[in-house]
Amino acid sequence: MDSPKWRKVAYGGMQPGFDDNHTDESFLEEMIMNANVVKRDLVKVILDSVSISQYLCIVSLVVLVWTYTLRSIFTETSLLLLDIILLCSGFLIVLLTAKRLSFDLLVSYFLKTSFFITGLYVLSPVYQTLTRSISSDSIWALTTSLVVLHLFLHNYSDSTLEFTNFTSNISLNASIVSSLLIASRLPSRLHVFAIVLFSLQVFLFGPFVGYCVKKYSFRLHLCFSFGLMVLTLFLVYGLHRLLFVLLLGILVFVNLVCPYWLIRIQEYKFEINGPWDEAKLCFNISE
Amino acid sequence: MAYETRDKMSQKGKHRILMVSDFFYPNFGGVENHIYYLSQCLIKLGHTVVVMTHAYGNRSGVRYMTGGLKVYYVPWKPFLMQNTLPTFYGTLPIVRTILLRERISLIHGHQAFSTLCHEALMHARTMGYKVVFTDHSLYGFADVGSIHMNKVLQFTLADVSQAICVSHTSKENTVLRSGLPPERVFVIPNAVDTAMFKPPRERLGSSEIVIVVISRLVYRKGADLLVEVIPEVCALHPNVRFIIGGDGPKRVRLEEMREKHSLQDRVDMLGAVPHAKVQSVLVSGHIFLNSSLTEAFCIAILEAASCGLLTVSTRVGGVPEVLPDDMIVLAKPDPSDMVQAITKAIHLLPQIDPQAMHCRVKKLYSWYDVAKRTEIVYERAFNCSNQSLVERLPRYLSCGAWAGKLFCLVMIIDFLLWHLLQMWKPDKEIEVVPEIDFASRPSEEAAWDSSTDES
Repeated sequence: MDSPKWRKVAYGGMQPGFDDNHTDESFLEEMIMNANVVKRDLVKVILDSVSISQYLCIVSLVVLVWTYTLRSIFTETSLLLLDIILLCSGFLIVLLTAKRLSFDLLVSYFLKTSFFITGLYVLSPVYQTLTRSISSDSIWALTTSLVVLHLFLHNYSDSTLEFTNFTSNISLNASIVSSLLIASRLPSRLHVFAIVLFSLQVFLFGPFVGYCVKKYSFRLHLCFSFGLMVLTLFLVYGLHRLLFVLLLGILVFVNLVCPYWLIRIQEYKFEINGPWDEAKLCFNISE
Repeated sequence: MAYETRDKMSQKGKHRILMVSDFFYPNFGGVENHIYYLSQCLIKLGHTVVVMTHAYGNRSGVRYMTGGLKVYYVPWKPFLMQNTLPTFYGTLPIVRTILLRERISLIHGHQAFSTLCHEALMHARTMGYKVVFTDHSLYGFADVGSIHMNKVLQFTLADVSQAICVSHTSKENTVLRSGLPPERVFVIPNAVDTAMFKPPRERLGSSEIVIVVISRLVYRKGADLLVEVIPEVCALHPNVRFIIGGDGPKRVRLEEMREKHSLQDRVDMLGAVPHAKVQSVLVSGHIFLNSSLTEAFCIAILEAASCGLLTVSTRVGGVPEVLPDDMIVLAKPDPSDMVQAITKAIHLLPQIDPQAMHCRVKKLYSWYDVAKRTEIVYERAFNCSNQSLVERLPRYLSCGAWAGKLFCLVMIIDFLLWHLLQMWKPDKEIEVVPEIDFASRPSEEAAWDSSTDES
């Protein structure tokens, strides 16, 4: 009679001829490694990281405008002009890049924007006196930290239209609060209205416009981003040398160093699947 | 299966064992029952067992349970999911006192999710005791909680003498998570108290088929699968009734399903069933349905099989290893597959004899057998060599580039704190508990053999 084989069962007590710590050849046989891992290409990752640096440049430009306004280099009329130009160009880009031109959609956009602008104009006296009793240093510190928080938690993926993510909500709130804080430091009501309109235009509608451009043509998106980066670097150079160096360093880090790093450590990825995994339900749970 | 008699066993060495876990009576669950039954059988085998756990409500201090099982309810309140607050070194004094008072020779920790267990094992290793760890659950690798838990497990198991898992799938999972060599992991399954879970004396009528579900109604236990499966089965088989015992966040969904398909007379929801009443609920059914999404070892299935029910379960984790193929019908965790499996089970029902099934389960599983196999693990643990702190540190260093050094630092500080304690309160000053022999009364000497019915 041949010796009994080891079976992968728990019943029947100790299997005769085998210890409890016997490790069979079939140990870890059903383990599957790296089943869902995507092989990444360096060039593609660098091109994808351009959208992050594009947004970084947009935020730097906004901060630049704030600085110039606070130093009274920009007057309120020039700010209002900037707002109108941005609004029109944004609308133009959305119109040109939209595949289906729906008149209803256009009218709804127009109505929403006008409600928004009217509301801001009515509320601007409130924002003007918001932080009168707080010292300037606290305002600058708070604004800086809020802008940094906004950049960290921002949703850089292509699905910018669905703000269902918890962190993307926080980042949006941070950007709005920082623009209101800056606005409250300005002398007149019109200043406040202009700067708040400018900041909110960029923070709320900027990602959407960028997404439309990217969807339409990737080359256009790349050209737009590079142009923006060059413009930002040029303007920041005019403001302060140290900030220029910092911005350049961050752009190089995000665009070149991080993709290379990601590809390097991708080799160590070890995804383990096996019979011990929790089963995934194949249907959606409708609450 | 031949068991050695108690007389032969009494010639081998007897140990004094400390069981540590956050999970014990008055909670009921897999880990709790495992510790209790294992301790009782080890006491019957002649060892001394002490249990250490945290305080439950007002239940704090020392309690004695059946057979002289001493339980230390250490006055730490649980802070998250029945776990004590992890303070790293806060438990060192109390663990040292218990180990010295009870003259413990070996510590046995249970459940990777228990912070008290990890801390006690760490202190025990610092003080030079032999340590055994039993893992009762399966964990993933991908989410943040699992990654941290696995790192903590790696730390604890870097220096454990032996480890035990409750199924072969659980062994694979533990080896991958902790990096232990597979030869150091023993597979000793749970068992079931067949004296408590008995089939009814008269067989149930077969005009109406009753399917029993007893589980916590949470996502992990597949309550959502139940919501999809029950209406289909009720539509397909007009003579089938469901009894659902248990409570949880998903109970609302089940009630909604019941209302939506008008199944009030065909689906009974019993609410939370206390452990003592589980058997009476089980014996009122023909089929037991288990829909959990992950299980290291499902004791509920064993209890159902011991009561003579045919089991239908999802094929996850260690479930395929628990019962022989003719006592269980397995299905993928997919509603249509499960409905097919239930149909197959209904057709198999006439061939099932509950009493025969109960006798088979009695032969296949017994806590006495589990205790004997655990004894072998203890012997192996004692044969491991004693090592000083310096010899043990390299094992921690191999846990990772940063983590290894951090773990070494933690152990060195523990070692220093231990010596500080020894200077402040020397070993001699700690009173040793006198030996109380609970088993010396004649009525306790009835042969505890698994083939006798204890009714």
